Amino acid sequence: MKRYARIAGLALVAALAVPAAAFGQYPPPSKPTPQKAPKGPFHTLQVCKDGCRYKTIQAAVNKARPGDTVKVRSGVYRETVSIAGASKRYIKLVGNPKDPSKVVIDGSRGKAVPRQNGVWVNGANQVTINGFTARHYNGNGFYVVNVTGYKLTHLKATLGGVYGIYAFNSIGGEMSDSEASYNNDGGFYIGQTPPQSTPKRSLVTRVKSFGNVIGFSGTNMRYVTITKSQWFNNGTGIVPNALDSEKYAPPEQNVIIDNDIFWNNFNYYVGAPFKVRKSGIGVPYPVGVGVLLFGGRHNDVVNNRIYGNYLVGVGALQQILLKQKDAADLIGNSVRNNQFGLNGTDLNGRDMVYDGSGSDNCFAGNAGVQAMLPADGSAFAACPFTGANAYNAAAQAEAFGWAGDATHEKFWIRHPHAPKKGYTPLEHYKK
Amino acid sequence: MPFREPESGLPRRGFLAAGAGVFLCTIGGERVLLRNPGDAAKADAAARRVARPRAAAAGAPGAGPTEKLTFATPQPQPGGTAREYWIQATDALWDIVPTRPRRDEWHGRPVPGPTVYRAFVYQQMTEGFAEPLAPPRMPGPTLYAEVGDTLVVHFRNGLSDETGQALTMHPHGVKYNPEYDGVYLGDFTRAGGFVEPGAEFTYTWEATPDAVGVWPYHDHGPNHTLNTFRGLFGAVIVREKGAKVPDMEAVIFFHSLAPPVTGLERQFQCINGRAFAGNTPTLQAKVGQDVAIHVMGMDSNFHDFHIHGHRWKDPSGTFVDTPAVGPNETITARFIEDNPGRWLYHCHVFTHQDGGMAGWYLVMP
Repeated sequence: MKRYARIAGLALVAALAVPAAAFGQYPPPSKPTPQKAPKGPFHTLQVCKDGCRYKTIQAAVNKARPGDTVKVRSGVYRETVSIAGASKRYIKLVGNPKDPSKVVIDGSRGKAVPRQNGVWVNGANQVTINGFTARHYNGNGFYVVNVTGYKLTHLKATLGGVYGIYAFNSIGGEMSDSEASYNNDGGFYIGQTPPQSTPKRSLVTRVKSFGNVIGFSGTNMRYVTITKSQWFNNGTGIVPNALDSEKYAPPEQNVIIDNDIFWNNFNYYVGAPFKVRKSGIGVPYPVGVGVLLFGGRHNDVVNNRIYGNYLVGVGALQQILLKQKDAADLIGNSVRNNQFGLNGTDLNGRDMVYDGSGSDNCFAGNAGVQAMLPADGSAFAACPFTGANAYNAAAQAEAFGWAGDATHEKFWIRHPHAPKKGYTPLEHYKK
Repeated sequence: MPFREPESGLPRRGFLAAGAGVFLCTIGGERVLLRNPGDAAKADAAARRVARPRAAAAGAPGAGPTEKLTFATPQPQPGGTAREYWIQATDALWDIVPTRPRRDEWHGRPVPGPTVYRAFVYQQMTEGFAEPLAPPRMPGPTLYAEVGDTLVVHFRNGLSDETGQALTMHPHGVKYNPEYDGVYLGDFTRAGGFVEPGAEFTYTWEATPDAVGVWPYHDHGPNHTLNTFRGLFGAVIVREKGAKVPDMEAVIFFHSLAPPVTGLERQFQCINGRAFAGNTPTLQAKVGQDVAIHVMGMDSNFHDFHIHGHRWKDPSGTFVDTPAVGPNETITARFIEDNPGRWLYHCHVFTHQDGGMAGWYLVMP
């Protein structure tokens, strides 16, 4: 029985954060290649419903040459915008950076299945998308794949079928000053980063993610810094995880620094503004987690404020279901100098959970820690630490057992939240 | 004495401007003469044409057995620790004479402008390159280690894709294997010897017992002479385990900023990127303090480090007050402070001190 619960718990994680490719027709990932910077002269193509040369964004993109700007005026555009191939490199798609809610692309088609993606970029390097709202897409709001370099900024992605703002199989980019809400998987997602000898880092900064199944999902992602952002009211806050469903496991060399990660207790199973997807094996994902390192190497969780997550503030667990066994262990990760529980006013159910698997993992300088699993703290080696960590099978079984709970709340340890101006805790969605 | 027209073929004005600043760079097979203001652009263009070396040097034309070698990442010795730094190379507008009005305090006279150029500097960042830890500075951050430690330096080339070029970090003194040399070697370049704009590389260097001392680090990419002159340099300090840290410790680079590098009309003789007392670092100490001033040369000239009112022992045990220091060499003036007052420190090569290579040393009783 126990064994079953453990496997089931893991499987549900694996089932959830699958690449969006599974939900639509996409070309297979190809290696991002260098493309020469265009020399110009550059042009600006105007798009609006009335009086512009281009009535749809796609029509302008089709005419745009490398490095051109496509300027989209206020309005609601019901289309899918595809920016594909080297001939569309360095294109800037600009809506209203000051108020992205004025330039909307909408995927809904009445009773028909909504369009798949809002804007998707495939194989066009250094594309900028700036100042748009994408909503009601069956797949993803903003989706970038097979590129070297991208900038996704001043965007809002809401009510999407899978991911809000999403980069896959790409090298180096930026997601900034954006918001993702009520998406049926990761609000933000960077997945399957190709390993590189001189890596190009991706930066996620000044974003807000709330009301999503997962605030930030990072399957097999690399060289990503997540900073100065807010992750709240999601089912789970931030999950760098190792999965077989994508290449290049595990996640490596990511830094989660200086974020607010709070109130990730959105039990979307009870109610949600989106239709909750059935996971492949019908087992739910645990709700109430701030950060979960699910497999991974050299990921650092540093200087964050983590509070009011009812199940776990920061968890670190071995990815025992991974077929690629050499990538299953946690190696060289650290959790340092975080503030848990908002000075005792807004506690996590458990601040830190670690099954003690792997090696060279360490914990240091974390303030406000009141509850841990294992409770005696024996798994939490101080930094720096080299060698095998203190594996704790009972702690691992207990943690994976939480996922088997059909109510998704049974193992919560609820504490009152401190009031936060402009923010309302979301546990059960009400229309 | 009338000024004699030099035989270089330069017009007199050009000679005065460039003076000793003329130099020749070999950049990925191209040779570029840097003689006049603006010539740096030619070198940058050449640097941008340098193709990324093959990732596997083992496959390079003419590769020998040394290229087939692979190297493990060194770990700290027992009791040692890995000291991590996040350092980004970036460009910044840099004022060589930041006082306003621009002034040489030593002689109490104004310094005519302009004095601002686009420098390249190493800037210390928070973990994950999330944000700068400090404003751009010259030299870059001083790296500290004790014997038995490793220095784990996450280096990022923060230059823009469009205008940037490959850069590196190459240290002196500490131990490293070829993987972490940080040097561009044409076809034989390893990954850390060619870090393109936007890319990063983690160097691991060892503080071995014979690494005790103060050493420079600098760019050693395809265009490293120009880029080092622009400001891509800093210092590494390695101490014995548990060694006493001096009460006052300063790192001083003697170097010049010449017209071909800066695009400015005149040549500045600099200390840490600044010229003329009041602009250069003002060092401060108190009587009784253990003072260590580490001086390195970072141009193609030899310098002499002189502090008024002080003397100290050189490594041979001889008392000195004006030791010579060459390119990428270090001398340390270490003494117990015993002489309060306002003192001048400067390079004692006269043309250097007169060109701005001088500063204040203030000692309180």
